[in-house]
Amino acid sequence: MSAIDTKKAEELEKKAKKQSPWAIARRKLFKNKLAMISLIFLVVVTILAYLAPVIAPFDPSRVDIINRNSPPGGDYLLGTDNAGRDVWTSLLYGARTSLTIGFVCMFAVVTIATIIGSISGFYGGWVDAVLMRFTDFIMNFPFLVFVIVLASIFREAGVWALIAVLSVLSWTGAARVVRSKTMSEKENEYVMAAISIGGTPFKVIRKHVLPNVMTTIIVQATLLLAVMIVAETALSFLGFGVPSGTPSWGNMMQEARQPHVIRNAWWIWVPPGLAITFTILAINFIGEGIKDAFNPKSLR
Amino acid sequence: MLLYTLRRILIMIPIMVMISVVVFALALAMPGDALSGQIDPANSDPEYIEEMRERLGLNDPVHVQYGRWMAGVVQWDFGRSFVHRMDVTEVIGQRLPNTILLSVLSLIITYILAFTMGRYAGRHPYTPGDYGIQGINYLMLAIPSFVAAIFAIFFFSFQLGWFPATGSVGSGVTAGTFEYYLSRLHHAALPALVLGGLTTASYTQFLRNDIIESSQKDYVRTARAKGTTENNIYNKHILRNSIIPIVTLFGFDIASIIGGAVIIETVFAYRGIGELLISSIDRRDSSVVVAVTLMLSVATLVGNLIADLVYGVVDPRIRVE
Repeated sequence: MSAIDTKKAEELEKKAKKQSPWAIARRKLFKNKLAMISLIFLVVVTILAYLAPVIAPFDPSRVDIINRNSPPGGDYLLGTDNAGRDVWTSLLYGARTSLTIGFVCMFAVVTIATIIGSISGFYGGWVDAVLMRFTDFIMNFPFLVFVIVLASIFREAGVWALIAVLSVLSWTGAARVVRSKTMSEKENEYVMAAISIGGTPFKVIRKHVLPNVMTTIIVQATLLLAVMIVAETALSFLGFGVPSGTPSWGNMMQEARQPHVIRNAWWIWVPPGLAITFTILAINFIGEGIKDAFNPKSLR
Repeated sequence: MLLYTLRRILIMIPIMVMISVVVFALALAMPGDALSGQIDPANSDPEYIEEMRERLGLNDPVHVQYGRWMAGVVQWDFGRSFVHRMDVTEVIGQRLPNTILLSVLSLIITYILAFTMGRYAGRHPYTPGDYGIQGINYLMLAIPSFVAAIFAIFFFSFQLGWFPATGSVGSGVTAGTFEYYLSRLHHAALPALVLGGLTTASYTQFLRNDIIESSQKDYVRTARAKGTTENNIYNKHILRNSIIPIVTLFGFDIASIIGGAVIIETVFAYRGIGELLISSIDRRDSSVVVAVTLMLSVATLVGNLIADLVYGVVDPRIRVE
């Protein structure tokens, strides 16, 4: 029994030696039950969201004046809201809006953070000093207050202005992380070698530094996705986010700003509330799983 | 330490000037007259607006306007609120005590919860109790504050009837009496519980990990070897070392409390600075919006300064650059 185990362990070790760091990380991630359940949950939510036009039983703007505020059951799986719209339909379309904004913001923020962080860390000196003072400056703003004020000024400009406002104010933390990782990566011989054979800074950063900073960027991206979804829903809830005609999880929650809705019509605010919370929870677990998978010290 | 303090304060001055420029730029983009609050935001007659703009000097060059505005700000003059028909400083002065009460309460709640949970989890790591606390932490990190607030109102105000759902003081109580202060505390309790409860997670995690790390250090082994009881080791030797980093988190927390207060106050219709900001944006009362934005920015900056200074006191290495 134990002899077989040792043999098996040796085989596994051989296999592990052949695998690339990415393959090892993937294997570790697949073994992490919590992260896998979360990933499946997120994929299902995303599929449901983008299939909303096919799955949803009603048109998102369809209003049933007779059956306003009706509880779940009958024609309406999750009941109807104050205006007589189907909550289940709004939930599906709302998922599409909230997830899309989350993903777009995430990509925008990661791009800004990667560019500023890698340039700052690679060049050092006065470039680094100027960029980091600028980063510190942005960090000094109370994030939510400025997002609200900016979003209220550009309220007429629609969803793209919202995405721009969210992205412009939230890249600072990720940029700092990318910078410090780039700085430590730059000290390695292979980067010096790449520079010495005449690689342009742009090429060295893109081909040699960035692939090694990638793991850090991926972990940051997952965390940012959660932050961006929360920011969008909170803004929409306050009335400064997605225009009120468009269904989004935050806009659905907005109806619960009236106490009588909280008291008497739980089916209006419980579904989007739980949807937001479980989505964020799933993203956080996936982020933790990825972080753990890329960590060579972790034994999982 | 004195030199370090002075240096930190000096660095802050140019940042404050730059922030004031940004806020000023935002003010120019806002509807109505954001700098002095003399133009009626509801009146959209172009002739009226043009006449008022000319009279108030809003057609002057930008740097002249900025100079005039800053001269007012340093003399504590933020113009007038058109909606409230009084000075902006007076409007803010009415709301400020409520927000301070809410923040202080929520901080106390955060520290009590984090201290209790972190200490337990750190002393009994990898037990069901520890896993339970970690689970609560994950949930608190994931649930957005406004969702938590609505669930809290539903359960504690409507189902159980323990706390009032909205407002900052009960109707029919006279100011200054004991009942009045009790009523204010009662109204602030639930928002403070939500605000304080949600920020607990990072503190708890920090304290837990620090206690676990300290419990393997040499001085703890020495204490054990001398026959010190486990209670004494954890409560006296370890906790005193682990509590220091927690205290320094306070300064950084001011920024997150400000952001959280804006949302929480709005959900609870609690008459504080955050609710004032949102309602002023809705009523296009731009002079109030500008003043509140500037004040909250300065508060965040001061919070960071306090955090740095406290850190410098606790850890002398920080002071040498």
